[in-house]
Amino acid sequence: MRWMLRAVVTAVLLVAAAFAVTACGSSDDSSEGGSTASSAGATTGAKPGTKITLWHNSADPPALRQLYRDFEADTGIELEAVANPSAGFEDTTLTRWASGSRPDVLEYHPTVTNLLALNPRANLRDLSGEAYIAKSGDLYRSAATVDGKTYGAVIGFPQVFGIFYNKDVFARAGIETPPTNAAELIEACRTILARAPGVTPIAESGGSQWPVQVLPTLLMGDANPDNRWGQELRSNRAHLDDDGSPFTRAMETYKQLRDDGCFNRDAASATVENSVRGLVEGRVAMVALHSDMIAAMVAAAGGDAAKVDRAIGFFAIGGETPAATYIPSPIGSYYLPRTGDADREAAALEFIRYVTGRGYGRYIAAARAFPVIEGTPEPAGVSALAREVKAAYDRGPANIAYAADVPGVGGVMVLINKLLIGQVEPQQIAEQTQKAVEQAAKAAKLEGW
Amino acid sequence: MASTTLTPEAGAPEQTAVRSSDPTPRRRKSPREGGHWPWFALPAVVLVAVFFALPFLLNAGFAFSDWSGFSDEIGFNGIDNFRTLIDQEIFWPAVRTTLLYAVCVLVFEMAVSLTLALALESTTRINTIFRSLFFIPVLISPLAAGYIWKGMLATNGPINGMLSFLLPGTVETAWLGDPTTALPAVALIEAWKWSGLITLVYIAGLKAIPKELLEAATIDGANAWSRFWRIKLRMLAPALTFNVAVTLAVALMAYDVIAPTTGGGPGDHTTTLNIAMRLQWGQSFFGPASALSLTVAVLVIASAVPLVMWMRKKEVAQ
Repeated sequence: MRWMLRAVVTAVLLVAAAFAVTACGSSDDSSEGGSTASSAGATTGAKPGTKITLWHNSADPPALRQLYRDFEADTGIELEAVANPSAGFEDTTLTRWASGSRPDVLEYHPTVTNLLALNPRANLRDLSGEAYIAKSGDLYRSAATVDGKTYGAVIGFPQVFGIFYNKDVFARAGIETPPTNAAELIEACRTILARAPGVTPIAESGGSQWPVQVLPTLLMGDANPDNRWGQELRSNRAHLDDDGSPFTRAMETYKQLRDDGCFNRDAASATVENSVRGLVEGRVAMVALHSDMIAAMVAAAGGDAAKVDRAIGFFAIGGETPAATYIPSPIGSYYLPRTGDADREAAALEFIRYVTGRGYGRYIAAARAFPVIEGTPEPAGVSALAREVKAAYDRGPANIAYAADVPGVGGVMVLINKLLIGQVEPQQIAEQTQKAVEQAAKAAKLEGW
Repeated sequence: MASTTLTPEAGAPEQTAVRSSDPTPRRRKSPREGGHWPWFALPAVVLVAVFFALPFLLNAGFAFSDWSGFSDEIGFNGIDNFRTLIDQEIFWPAVRTTLLYAVCVLVFEMAVSLTLALALESTTRINTIFRSLFFIPVLISPLAAGYIWKGMLATNGPINGMLSFLLPGTVETAWLGDPTTALPAVALIEAWKWSGLITLVYIAGLKAIPKELLEAATIDGANAWSRFWRIKLRMLAPALTFNVAVTLAVALMAYDVIAPTTGGGPGDHTTTLNIAMRLQWGQSFFGPASALSLTVAVLVIASAVPLVMWMRKKEVAQ
């Protein structure tokens, strides 16, 4: 048996050594360069028949899937679309990514927070200089860009966060003007509790995890004009747990709403689908969500978009003053991981140019979505509710969410869930989240840490 | 016992005759003599080494590293990951929840399975049907089971509906959203999932008890409780050891039933070590995730091994 033991130990050590060499080796060779070195109109050299892989979100709407098929038909490049489930999308994508597996095109969040987790300097191709960037206004000041280099392409309209409300319930409660700040929201809740018994003033969905972040994010949205606060947090010049920070104040308002009985009794475990259904059916007065959830509202209304337009309204809100809070959408945002295969890299770049170029107009028309690249007309047939959201965004102030540039805030949803059941206090959430920010910022070697 | 029948000494007469004509008779070595029997263990040893020992060793290494998705460099950072997890109030609550969850599952599962095994011990047609029915949850994917129960236990789900029908008033308990009921609820789901298997092991153990022993006890005046307590339960010791060890190991590694039902909530009331590990992983903190994973392994070894050794000793004593 001794020989067997020796053989097993040797094999284990050999594999461990090989792993250590590959895992610990730095990739200095890939830290510089790697730019597509492109300019508008330059050819990619992509060859028809090349096969590339796309990791995409399973929640991609039909129009986006059609765009993928159009790309194949128009370029002759074969696109193998591999779906990552939208539930746990970040986990699944990062788990695959951490294993060293790489697609040719990756659909993922364009926020800097999420981009940093991909270690873009080492793993992604620099797309700075591509034609679509100059045609997208100041979108890339806050999206898919780190240290002045743009690594992604964004074709989806930003997710605009705000409160969707049931118009009938507001009318019944005698609320003529939707609340615009924290104090008015608390007041509106009390009014609904008094005048519309049986209706949940604000539906929360702790069972779906992410929705609980939305309301606190809105309540600090007005504190982040031009992303200044986010930049300060990122560079260690401001902290979430500072005295009187917008973060702590937002959490205190959230706690007040909980104490006033504004949330549903099963707030910690309810799902977002239930909340949306309650809103459409008039059992719920308000739900804090983002604009991509309009599709879920239409689904809850049995596919009747007109019914949703009649029943549901939207308003922007902030802690002190109203602000439309947004983040660049993960749906329709793409990166090009480095693969080292010239043919596939050329085909992947062709994909980016196609979806931001000749395929874009057709996609916008089919999706009935608002374009983010100049020169594309707004499509017909967009729902009234979607237009209301867009109007709030255009009217402004429209501020990017504080978390868009700050790494390490992924755990805040668990802490807010704890707040919902009285397990923690607002200041504790701020302190714990700040520690996670510090942990991530140091790991990412951000300036100022 | 079986090996002695394969030795030449125990062979049939005609085989002996054939061998006697062989000028160089080959004698097969018994396992005790160190023959080539260990070869049969080789596939199992290799599989264990590659799929269990190696990942365990590598994971142990990463637990003390600053591996994250934010950088392509991995360096040794001592016990920083554990320190960070303790500092962020993740580590000890997760250990506490994991142990509590394991104890709940163990108690629920043993109570249900032993009761079922005693009820379904005799092999009748109706019992066979019930045994099959109780075994069905074992075959269901844990994730699917979790989603089914999430629907059943929803505030407007069938469980509350049934309770509202039976009890006065309307029952709207958020079983999975209330801090007091969430952990017992998911532990019950885990117990429901595996009780069918544990029951079968107990039934097999009960079947192995000599009938004469029970008949003698009955003649001596032992009632049903005495027969169970003094004979059946003691004779079930090997089955009990197996069931406790398996249940404990599975419960300490709990993830797949909790993820679809509560996701670790409400708050962190059902955040076991593996759920906490997944949350760290999802934020690209791979070092702390490995530290939590290592803790699970250590916890399983530290609790299951002494327990099994103690129970084995008790078996021998009996």
